[in-house]
Amino acid sequence: MARLQGMSRKRREALAAYAFLAPDTLGLLIFVALPMALAFGVAFFKVDGFGNYQYVGLANYRLMIGDDQLLAALKVTAIYVVTFVPIAFVVSFALAMLVRNQFRGIGWVRSAFFLPNVVSLVVVGLIWQFLLVDKRGALSKLLAPFGLGDVSFLGTPSLALGTYVLISVWFLMGYQMLVFLAGLKDVPRELEDAAAIDGAGSWQRFRYVIWPLLRPTSFFVVVNSTIGAVTGLQAFDLVFVLTKGGPARATSTVVLYIYEQAFTFNNLGYAAALTTVVVALLVLCTGLMFGLTRGGRFDED
Amino acid sequence: MRTRFWPIVAHVLAIIAVLPLLWIVISALKPAADVFDFGWPTTWTLDNLQYVLLKIPMPRFLLNSAIVSVTVTVIALFFHSMAAYALARLRFPGRGIIFSGIMSTLLVSLPVILVPLFLVAKQLGLLDSYAGLIVPSIFHAFGIFLLRQYYLNIPRELEEAADLDGCGYWRRYWSVILPLSRPVLASLSVLFFLANWNAFLWPLTITRNPDLRVIQLGVSGMQGQYASAWNLILAAAVIAAIPTVVVFVAGQRRLVDAMKTTGLK
Amino acid sequence: MAPPPAQLSRRTLLSAFAAVPLLSACGNSSGGDGKELSFWNFYGPSDDQGPQSKWFVAAAEEWNRNNEVKVKLRYIPGKDYLNGTTLQTAFQSGQGPDIFLISPGDFLRYYNGGVLQDLGPALSAAARADYLPGLLEARSVDGKVYGLPMEIEPLAMYYSETAFEKAGLSEADLPKTWDQTLAVAEKLTGKDRYGVMFETLPGYYQNFTWYPFLWQGDGAPIKDGKVAFDSPAAVQALKFWQDTIQHKVAPRKALGDGGGDVVSNLGSGAAAMQESGIWAVADLRAKARNVKYGVIPHPTPDGGKPATDLGGWAFVANSKGKNPEAAAKFIAWALGSTDAAGIERQRQWNTVVKTNVPPRKSVQAAADAKGAFADGALQKFVSEIAPTGKPEPRFPPEVYQPIADAIQACQLNAADPAKAAADAASRIDTFLQTYQGAPIS
Repeated sequence: MARLQGMSRKRREALAAYAFLAPDTLGLLIFVALPMALAFGVAFFKVDGFGNYQYVGLANYRLMIGDDQLLAALKVTAIYVVTFVPIAFVVSFALAMLVRNQFRGIGWVRSAFFLPNVVSLVVVGLIWQFLLVDKRGALSKLLAPFGLGDVSFLGTPSLALGTYVLISVWFLMGYQMLVFLAGLKDVPRELEDAAAIDGAGSWQRFRYVIWPLLRPTSFFVVVNSTIGAVTGLQAFDLVFVLTKGGPARATSTVVLYIYEQAFTFNNLGYAAALTTVVVALLVLCTGLMFGLTRGGRFDED
Repeated sequence: MRTRFWPIVAHVLAIIAVLPLLWIVISALKPAADVFDFGWPTTWTLDNLQYVLLKIPMPRFLLNSAIVSVTVTVIALFFHSMAAYALARLRFPGRGIIFSGIMSTLLVSLPVILVPLFLVAKQLGLLDSYAGLIVPSIFHAFGIFLLRQYYLNIPRELEEAADLDGCGYWRRYWSVILPLSRPVLASLSVLFFLANWNAFLWPLTITRNPDLRVIQLGVSGMQGQYASAWNLILAAAVIAAIPTVVVFVAGQRRLVDAMKTTGLK
Repeated sequence: MAPPPAQLSRRTLLSAFAAVPLLSACGNSSGGDGKELSFWNFYGPSDDQGPQSKWFVAAAEEWNRNNEVKVKLRYIPGKDYLNGTTLQTAFQSGQGPDIFLISPGDFLRYYNGGVLQDLGPALSAAARADYLPGLLEARSVDGKVYGLPMEIEPLAMYYSETAFEKAGLSEADLPKTWDQTLAVAEKLTGKDRYGVMFETLPGYYQNFTWYPFLWQGDGAPIKDGKVAFDSPAAVQALKFWQDTIQHKVAPRKALGDGGGDVVSNLGSGAAAMQESGIWAVADLRAKARNVKYGVIPHPTPDGGKPATDLGGWAFVANSKGKNPEAAAKFIAWALGSTDAAGIERQRQWNTVVKTNVPPRKSVQAAADAKGAFADGALQKFVSEIAPTGKPEPRFPPEVYQPIADAIQACQLNAADPAKAAADAASRIDTFLQTYQGAPIS
């Protein structure tokens, strides 16, 4: 005790901070950083899935150059990102604007939009498989009067990816709406009212008052949903349950491809090398977004 | 007129959003033969739910999920708030680095590190145990980030009062910060509970013992075993979703407030 | 292969973590003494699979009564077993099961991984001689047997009598050729029903069900160790499956457990004809007793010959397991015993709890004595369909995948069959040039 008290205040504060940080930091090191480091290490080996390792240098990386399947998977993921992220953004933002002001039953409406996100992806996959069954599913029955009764939403390559995007939006829109709502709460009413008095229309109020104040929130949403779209559970669990990457590889995302390499082909070394590339791409993308938007206030103090 | 219009739109869209879920609930209450009938059911039955609850060890799956989700949530919130407190309120060398390091783990997701994580868990003797389901799921940077943002916004004066009383850092955290963070912890606990209740890939990888199966594994296993019985699969899906919906409805009022106070703006 | 230094250092690093008492106190691994063998399978204790699950339980119990080394069953849902991570992560980390089930498609992966135990020493000469020709060979390398088949599962076309009646068709209209199949399917297709159905989900199973159509035109992916996929036989087979989709007489996505699940598809009325295996007879018996159906051989192309694919799972032992010799003994006992009890156990599996063509002559004789194959679909399977069959090929993933991509692209994405076949052939060729494992057949 005496020694503690004798320590300089600075020192004591630092020691306390380290103690507070210890459990989480250690946990993240062991269960996130270490596996990641292992993945980086394994990328230089040929691994057969039965515990045999053979050092192969950069061979796994060279393999990527001629890999058409990888290219196709990257394309699927790219299309998914550039459709899902903006659509989810616009939809959830519009929903947030819609439920921003009080009206009768607002609690139920907000809950309703969030409800899909409460259900697990396993169940979401099941639900849509059931609703989208060829010919007899509820959606086919609904569309039958318009002559679209035998459209196979999950079985047609040109439709499957779009269907997957829309299901993802449905699943995640409530969550993003909530984030936007939180951001909107900080837009001072007075500012908007003042703008209205000055004769600003709703579009102008949105463009010059709300939008600038929402930029950090928007940044957070975009970064978050990009990461989710590339490597998140929605890029894996949902595809896995819905289509297994089919039909004709139309929904084979990069994460699914990595999974296939690891577990169908037992090419764990190649899978690890792919992992490092995907994470590097992500770092690059988020860094770029960070730079372009001059940061999302991650480091305010 | 104007003020009426948008709320009506909101209500209509809300109904469309939940319609798929509602349809599943209705279908789960239909007799097996009518499950694909498009229309209001003519007969209702609880047989499907009853069958799933009695003939399949659903109660066991539910219990396992509850144990895991609640434990992870409690421990995670505790650890995260400690870490967040240090990052937000204390000054120490390496703070920037540690913070960026923690944030950078957000780029790594489970499917990508599944195999190495499994190897680590195996070395730690975590295979096939509650600990294996719980421990690796605790650590996630998202919660630390949200709590830190929240703590940044707590007025410093509150803490300084405790400082004048001669409290150490632990006491300040325990008796000033923690009580103040009750609302945000409450809402985060909703999010954490949902995420863990819905986890699938990790439990699938780490457990072998059927007594350790969690509910999502149970539901997905149904699909293989009762492939032809959509009525039973849907009933299982409904049962798996009930606890999350209950938790959400109970906690939903707090969610928006929490998001706001965490400074996601 | 020398262990690389990197692996060593990682081990030490990990065990350093394991030394943290807080963490290592949380788990325990059991049965490290070789006295208990884990046996992983996908026959779970549900109502649906009840009898089959019970067969496994009974076999394990009987073994455990008389042997010091005990067998412990572990059930893994079929989806996780076939497409999941459970088996793979286990083997990757040296925690594989002692005994497990594999299909022919998985054989080389595990064999080349060096984890399959030679069952020969545990297998009597009488037992070897009892198996139908070709069956053990398909699971052997250099004359050593690495897996014992538990069943033979031929594929055929199922048809719904109800659907035929509703469409005003009779038995005379049952298709014998591919063209007839398309024509009849068109008549059978309606608002709620497809005329014919093949598997559409990519995977080993889809390839398995497509090979008969390839074989009918005398095609093969590999002949004499060289790629042979770019052939008229492959092109016409790809085209046939494509036509069923293009003519809108076949679904793009199956119900239930997929193309092999007759109860969910044909049984529910969603398909009028469906390609599936002999197992569906038992499924229909257990879950859809009132469905009226029949079985016909695969329709053939012009000038083609009848063909089918003989699937079937095998028991294998993990050579890196806790006690591989005991595991091999268990397998030889459970499937290969030639005494009365052993034959009865096999008869139960192949004709009572499940429907298969028995892999052993003595079992076939015992089943015939009970009249198991006297009439109906099973008789057709044994007498007419199975004799035209070949065992499912044991292609490694690198051969399977290009074929799967060709099937998927033609069937579902309207790709040009000739180009798809050529692409697949060149990918297989690239692989064969560097392949060094056991012979592919």
